[in-house]
Amino acid sequence: MRLGRNFGWLIVIVVAFLIPLLLHDSQYFLSVFVMCLINVLLTSSLRSTASTGQVSLGIMAFMGIGAFTSALLMMKLSFPIWAALPLAGLAAMAVAAVIGFPFVRVTGLYFAMVTLFFCEVIRLILTQWRTMTGGSTGIVNIPSVGTISVLGLNINFSHILPYSYFALFVTVVSLLILYRIDRSHLGTHFASIGQDESVAESIGINVIWFKVFSFCIGCFFAGVAGSLYAHFLTVLYPDVFSIFPSIYILIYMVAGGRKSFIGPILGAIILTVIPELFLSLKTYQPFIYVAFLYIVLYSMPGGLVTLPGIIGARFATMRQARLRND
Amino acid sequence: MIETRELTKYFGGLCAINNLNLKVNPGEILGLIGPNGTGKTTAFNLLTGFIRPTSGRILFEGRDITDKSAHARVKLGLARTFQLVRSFPDFTIKRNMVAASFLHPKIGFWEAIFYTPQYRRKEKQIAEETGTILQFLGLDSLENEIVRNLPHGYQIMVGIAIALATKPKLLLLDEPLAGLSPAEVSRALEIIRELRRRGTTIMLIEHNMAAVMNVCDRLVVLNFGTEIANGSPDDVSHNKDVIQAYLGVRKNAA
Repeated sequence: MRLGRNFGWLIVIVVAFLIPLLLHDSQYFLSVFVMCLINVLLTSSLRSTASTGQVSLGIMAFMGIGAFTSALLMMKLSFPIWAALPLAGLAAMAVAAVIGFPFVRVTGLYFAMVTLFFCEVIRLILTQWRTMTGGSTGIVNIPSVGTISVLGLNINFSHILPYSYFALFVTVVSLLILYRIDRSHLGTHFASIGQDESVAESIGINVIWFKVFSFCIGCFFAGVAGSLYAHFLTVLYPDVFSIFPSIYILIYMVAGGRKSFIGPILGAIILTVIPELFLSLKTYQPFIYVAFLYIVLYSMPGGLVTLPGIIGARFATMRQARLRND
Repeated sequence: MIETRELTKYFGGLCAINNLNLKVNPGEILGLIGPNGTGKTTAFNLLTGFIRPTSGRILFEGRDITDKSAHARVKLGLARTFQLVRSFPDFTIKRNMVAASFLHPKIGFWEAIFYTPQYRRKEKQIAEETGTILQFLGLDSLENEIVRNLPHGYQIMVGIAIALATKPKLLLLDEPLAGLSPAEVSRALEIIRELRRRGTTIMLIEHNMAAVMNVCDRLVVLNFGTEIANGSPDDVSHNKDVIQAYLGVRKNAA
């Protein structure tokens, strides 16, 4: 069983590594692929925080902190990417740790509200701090990854095909870490807090600390996603990191199914790819999202991941009914 | 074991606990009884750190724990269950136990991420320890069931199981017998006695008087937040104040 599951994951990862090769002709589809990875990473980060019952509406703030940190570290201090990327995560995490202690003391809707306002505060800071962030015009000419020697080969990761592999590698490593957290006692502690904070406290879990911890983990990977974004587009505008995309990430998570690990990943992939396939309908994107979300939540309250189970149960009842009729 | 000194708690102008001097001796089963709304659960919440007293001190094994948080008290050996004995309904019994037992062996973050042999060994050790608890409570064959799907009697046992997984010296049970069938009640009382025999001190809030009289060594009776009686079940049941406040006057007893 365990071997089977690990084998399944391995196949998924191998297939993911083949996708850029299939798409290598189209610059456009490769960029969709990279955006997809960034959204997957953001959605999984959001889930890590949400597992303790805290729904953050400000994930874009932490992505923004990561993106600008990474870009400025490489531009002003000429840091290499392998230092800038984790530092982007750490910067977002440090901010999360500072605001976390007051923030996690409010729960539910109130947590959503304070994170929402925090997102706006960060966007305004990024807009106003002109000397560092370039204000509303943003920063341009951010260096991309550059040339890295892999297994003796010097590969220029600034080109889009190598970059998509770089992004895939970072995403897979991040997801593996998030997966291990989810499967270990840490994930169990997070989810137990999500179910009943008093009971969690009564069995000796330091609820406040673990809530801040899960918030920090989520924000770390949001910062990493920001770094991937910055060096992919090589331009950054503060307005990107606003409330609206934060809500989209939340929709990906809920539509995919926040209870399972794979759910938010699926939600992010499907809801990133579908609008790109129907590009002529881009104006109607919010309507399509709402309709999609409504249908998913109405017919499968546990999210898209529960679809195979629902279909399976339907077939089982049908078969039983047929057997009874015979 | 645990001791309170002039413990007082006000909710606004309402005095929930008034000048309570409670003492639980090691190895006893102490029943805390009294009419509804009299502050029994408030007393439990104060003892376990879920709420802070307005004044007074709480001592556990001679140490002042008044300012310690609830989770820190658990580590000292002070565990509790809640009314309707709650656990984590979306988890399997096994995962409930994992949630409750990973605080005792110190485990590092990176150990968990890299799934080191050391981590696996600890996982195995915890599975063995919790297995014994589940066996003791008759839950071992159900460990992969989601708690939500179990009958009420079993859910109560899961609540007790996660409290036991924290390895308590003193266990506070808040109405553990509510909603149990007579057969389940006698089974639960057996478990409480067996726990005491194994060295756990027990404090019990319960309205099932027959059970309380049967299992407790000593009773403390509260009325409007004040202690009105303290003694053996026999003494207490003949105490005039208690009869008036709680047990009710029997017509033919006069």
